[in-house]
Amino acid sequence: MPRTSLSTPTRIVGAAAATALVLGLSACGSSGTGASGDAKAGGSFTYWSMWRAEEPQAQVLKAAIADFTTATGIKVDVNWAGRDISKKIGPSIAANQAPDLWDQANDAIFGSVASAGQALDLSPVLGLQIPGENVPVSQVIPGKYFDMLPKDPGGSNHYVIPYEVATTGLYYNAADPDLAAAMPAAPADWAALLKVCDTLKAKSKPCFASEGEDPWTNGLYFDYLLNGAGVDVSKLANDKSSAGWDDPAVLAAAQKVEQLVKGGYLIPGYDATKYPAQETNWAGGKAAFLMNGSWVTAEVAKQIPAGWKFGSMLPPGTKSPDATLFGFSIPKKAKHAEAAEKFIAFFLQKKELAGISTTAGNITPREDIPAPAELADAQKALAGATVRLPFDGVAGNWSPKVLDQHFLDLWHGKSTAAQFVAKCKADQVTYWQTQG
Amino acid sequence: MQTQRRSAGLARRIATALVWCVVAADLLLILWIALTSLRGSSDILHQAFGLPAPPRVGNYLTALRDGGFGQAALNSVLVAVVSSLAAVAIAAPCAYALSRRRSRVSSMLTMTFAMGLGVPGQVLVVPLFVGLAKVNLTDSHLGLILVYIGLAMPFTVFMLTGFFAGIPSVLEEAAVLDGAGPVRTFVQVVLPVARGGLITAFLLQFISGWNETLFALVLTHSQDQITLPVALAEFVATEQINGMDYGTMFAGVCIILAPMIALFSWMGTRIIQGMTVGIGK
Amino acid sequence: MAATLLDKPRPAPARAPRRHRGGAGSPLIRQQRRMFWPFTAPALLVYAVMFLAPVGYAVWTSLYKWDGMGDMQWRGLHNYQVLLQDPSFRTSLVNTLKLMFVGGTVTFVISFALTLVLREMKARLFARSVLFFPCLVNGMVFGIAAGFLFSPTGPVNQALHFLGVTTPPKWLSTDNLLPMVLGTLIWTATGYYTSIIMAAVDQIPAYLYEAAELDGANAWQRFRHVTLPCAWDVISVCAVLWTVSSVKIFELILLFGGTSSAYPPVSSWNTALYVYAEAFPQATVPRLGMATAAAVSSLLMVTVVTLVLRRLMRRDPIEY
Repeated sequence: MPRTSLSTPTRIVGAAAATALVLGLSACGSSGTGASGDAKAGGSFTYWSMWRAEEPQAQVLKAAIADFTTATGIKVDVNWAGRDISKKIGPSIAANQAPDLWDQANDAIFGSVASAGQALDLSPVLGLQIPGENVPVSQVIPGKYFDMLPKDPGGSNHYVIPYEVATTGLYYNAADPDLAAAMPAAPADWAALLKVCDTLKAKSKPCFASEGEDPWTNGLYFDYLLNGAGVDVSKLANDKSSAGWDDPAVLAAAQKVEQLVKGGYLIPGYDATKYPAQETNWAGGKAAFLMNGSWVTAEVAKQIPAGWKFGSMLPPGTKSPDATLFGFSIPKKAKHAEAAEKFIAFFLQKKELAGISTTAGNITPREDIPAPAELADAQKALAGATVRLPFDGVAGNWSPKVLDQHFLDLWHGKSTAAQFVAKCKADQVTYWQTQG
Repeated sequence: MQTQRRSAGLARRIATALVWCVVAADLLLILWIALTSLRGSSDILHQAFGLPAPPRVGNYLTALRDGGFGQAALNSVLVAVVSSLAAVAIAAPCAYALSRRRSRVSSMLTMTFAMGLGVPGQVLVVPLFVGLAKVNLTDSHLGLILVYIGLAMPFTVFMLTGFFAGIPSVLEEAAVLDGAGPVRTFVQVVLPVARGGLITAFLLQFISGWNETLFALVLTHSQDQITLPVALAEFVATEQINGMDYGTMFAGVCIILAPMIALFSWMGTRIIQGMTVGIGK
Repeated sequence: MAATLLDKPRPAPARAPRRHRGGAGSPLIRQQRRMFWPFTAPALLVYAVMFLAPVGYAVWTSLYKWDGMGDMQWRGLHNYQVLLQDPSFRTSLVNTLKLMFVGGTVTFVISFALTLVLREMKARLFARSVLFFPCLVNGMVFGIAAGFLFSPTGPVNQALHFLGVTTPPKWLSTDNLLPMVLGTLIWTATGYYTSIIMAAVDQIPAYLYEAAELDGANAWQRFRHVTLPCAWDVISVCAVLWTVSSVKIFELILLFGGTSSAYPPVSSWNTALYVYAEAFPQATVPRLGMATAAAVSSLLMVTVVTLVLRRLMRRDPIEY
C-alpha cells in the first residue's frame, strides 16, 4: 500500500524533471548559436499561471510550452502562481511589472484588468492560423463565448481567449438505480423535478446535496429559476432604484427556492457543515443531485465508488446554460505581446488542447474535442445556440454585499421568500449609494 | 467556616479537573493533526477521527515536492531567520542608546516606537504593497524580509529598551575608563550580558515571522517565493476546481507546526517569559 | 498609546542600577551622548521607511478614489462617509468590537480563574505550557481543523452524544461563524494572558497573603484586596495589548469561513477582512481608497479604545 502511494508522486516528479530537462535542452538549443537559422526566432515571454505546478492543467500547459519552444525557439518564463493571481495582476500592471501572458476565469480577467481598460484586445489572435490545422482561431472557438462577455472600455470583448470552459448544472449518478427509477427522463418543468424528488423521498433518499455555507452554488438555483422566468440578474442588480425586485417573477423564483428548503428536499444537516462535507456525502450516494460547476467531476474523481456514472442536466425551464471561460489574457503593457499571442494560437491546436479534456478532465471550447465521458451531458448543454454568464455576469461586490447573506438566510429557512426579496431590495439601494 | 472551606475545596477540585480536560483537548488536537497527516484523503473525508491504517508517509513526500511545501519551508526559514536576525541587529543598538540616554528626544523617540505597537497590520498592507511594487520588490524574499524587519521594529525596540534598562551600567563605566569607544563598549561589554534578552527577541520575532500570513499572502505569489502559510492557503484554494488531497494538506499543516512544537518544547520557558515578563515589567 | 506603558515606575530590580554615579560630565555620559544618533539611526530609518511612511501614505490614499492602476481622484472625506453607510463595513466594525469586548471580557475572566486554579495545581508549569501553545499556532490551522472536528458526525458531536446531548448546535452554520471564531480566539488567547497574569501574581510577596489570611480574609477577599490591586498594572497593559491584537485577527477568519480565493461571508468579517477584500477583490477592480479609509478607521478605533481604557484603568501605583 505505501508503495503505490509512493510511486505516483515519484512518477510525477520524474515527468516534471523530464519536462524541465527538455525545456532546458531546448533553451540551450535556441539561445546557443541560433541553429534554426531564422534570425527572428527565439526571444521569450513571461506567463503567470492560475494553476499551481502540480495541477493537471499545469501538466498540459507544461507539455505545450515545451513543444512551443521546440517549434519556435521562443522561451516561456512561467510562474505557477495559483488562483490568487487575479488579485496581484492589477498592481503589477500599475508598477509596470505585468507579465506578457496570464490566465484566469473570464470574470476575474474582466473585473481585475479588462474593466479598467488594461487588457489588450486579442481580436488579432482570432485571425491567427492554428499551427498544423490551416484554420484561424476564430473558426475553432465559437463566437457565442465572446458574445456573452461584457465589453471593456475600448468596446472589445476579446480580452480573453478561452482554453477551458465550465458550465453549471445538476450533477447526478446515472447508474444509481433509485434515481433511474424515479427519473426515467429529464423532468420537463419544476413540478416534474419536485415529483422526482418526492419519489426519492419515499425511498428516504434526499434529493439535493448542498454545501449550506456557499452562496454561489446554492444561488445557482435562484439564478436558473430567474433565467427560466426571463429575468436578467445583471439587469436586476444594476438597477439603482432596485425596482426590479418588485417583479412578481422574482418573488416567484424565490418562492420556488423556499419550496426546496421547506419541502425538505435538501440533504439533512446541510446547514451545519463546511465544504466539502456535503460534496463528499453526495459522492458517497447520500443524495441524488448536486448543483455545481463542471469541475465537480474532477473534484470528486478520487472519491466516487466503482460503477458510478456521471450525468448532468440543467434545472427544468432553463432558457440557456451558463458558461465560465478559463483563458489567456494579455495586459496592454506587455512587452512581448506578439510572442504571447503566438503561444495562444499554438495551445489551441487540437493536439495540445486535447490534454485539457484527457489529462485535466474538463471541457475545452473546441467542439471537435470530445469532453471526458463524465462531462458528455455538460458539453451537450453547451452546444446550444446561446450561452450566458452565471448570474448573468453580475459583477463587483454586489453578490457578497447584497445577495449572499440574504440568500443564505432563505436557504437556511430563516426567512421567507417575501422577506428575502424585501431585504435584497433595501440593501441594493444602500449598495448603490456606496458605489461610485 | 469549615463547610465553606470544604465547598471551596470541591470547587477547586472541579476547576482542576476542567483545566486538565482542556490540556488533554489541546494535546489531543495536536495528536489528531499528526495522525491525520498520515491518512488517505477519502478516509479523512468519510471519518474524521481515525487511525492511519497503514500510515502513509507518502503524504509528506507529496506535500514537500508536489504540494510545494518543501520549497515554501525553505523560504519560510530564510525569511524568518534573516528578518529576525536583522531586526535584532538593528533594534539592539537603538534600544541600548534609548535606554542609556535620558533626554527629551530620547523619550520622544521611545514613545514613537511604542506607538507602532498599536498600529494594526491592515493599515500598512496597501501602502507597502504599492510601494514595494514600485521598486520591484514584490514577490521577492528581500521585499518580504524588509517588511518583516519594519514590522518588528516597534516590539523589538520596545522590549529591548526595557531589557537594557535593567542592566547596570557599572561595567560600561569601567570599560569607558579603560578607553573603550562606544562600539567596543557595546559589542564587548554590553552584548554578552544582554545575550539572553537578544536571544528571546530573536525567538519571538522568528515565531511571528514564521506564522505571519497577511503580508506574505499579499506580497508573494510565485512558488519559489511563497512562505508556508501562503503555500497552505493556496493549497486549500485548489480544492476548488481540481479537488484536494486532505492527507497532503494535513501533512502541510504539520510542516508548519513542527518547528513551533520543537522550539516550544526546547525553549518553552524562555518563550513564555519573553512574551509575558517583558509585558509585566 | 502603548508608550504610556513606559512612563510608569518599574519595580526596582534586586541589583539596583546606580545610574547617576558619574556626574553629567562623566566620560560615560559624554560617550552615550555621542553614540546616541549613530546607534539609533538605522532603526529609525527602517522604522520611518517601512512603518511610519506607510501609515502616512495610507491616510493620504484614503482621501482618494484609486484602483491601483489608473489615476487617483481626490475625494476628500467622502470615502469615510461612504464607509459609514456601507452595511458590510458596519457589520465588520460591529464584529471587530464584539471580538474586542466580548472576547476580551471572557478571556480575562477565564485567565484569572485559571491563574487561581493553576497556582495550587500539581504540574502547573506543564499545564501552563500546554495551554500557552495554541497562541504559537497559525490561525489557519484552526479554521481547517474546525471543519472536521465540528461536523455533525465529527468528534465533538460524538463526545457530546456520549455525554447525553442529542441535539448539538449547528456549529458550522454561517450564523455561528463569528461565535466559533470568538471561541477559538478565546481558547488560543487564554493561555497567553494566563501566563502574563501568573507571572505578575507570582511577584506579589507572600506576606501580603499571609497578613490577609491572619485578618480572616477568605479566598475571594484575598483575590479582591490583594491579587487584583497588585496585578492591576499588568492587567491594564494586557487590556491594551488585547485591544491591539484583537483588531489584527485575519487568517483565523479567512480560513474559518472561506479560502484565500473565496472570501468568508460578510457576517463574519472584521475590519481586517474588509480591508483585504476591498484592496484585493476576487473579480473586480480594487478600491484602494476605501480599503485604506477602512484601515485608518480601525487605527482610530484602536487609539480611542486604548486611550479610554488607560483612563478608566488608571490607579495609583501600588508600592510594596
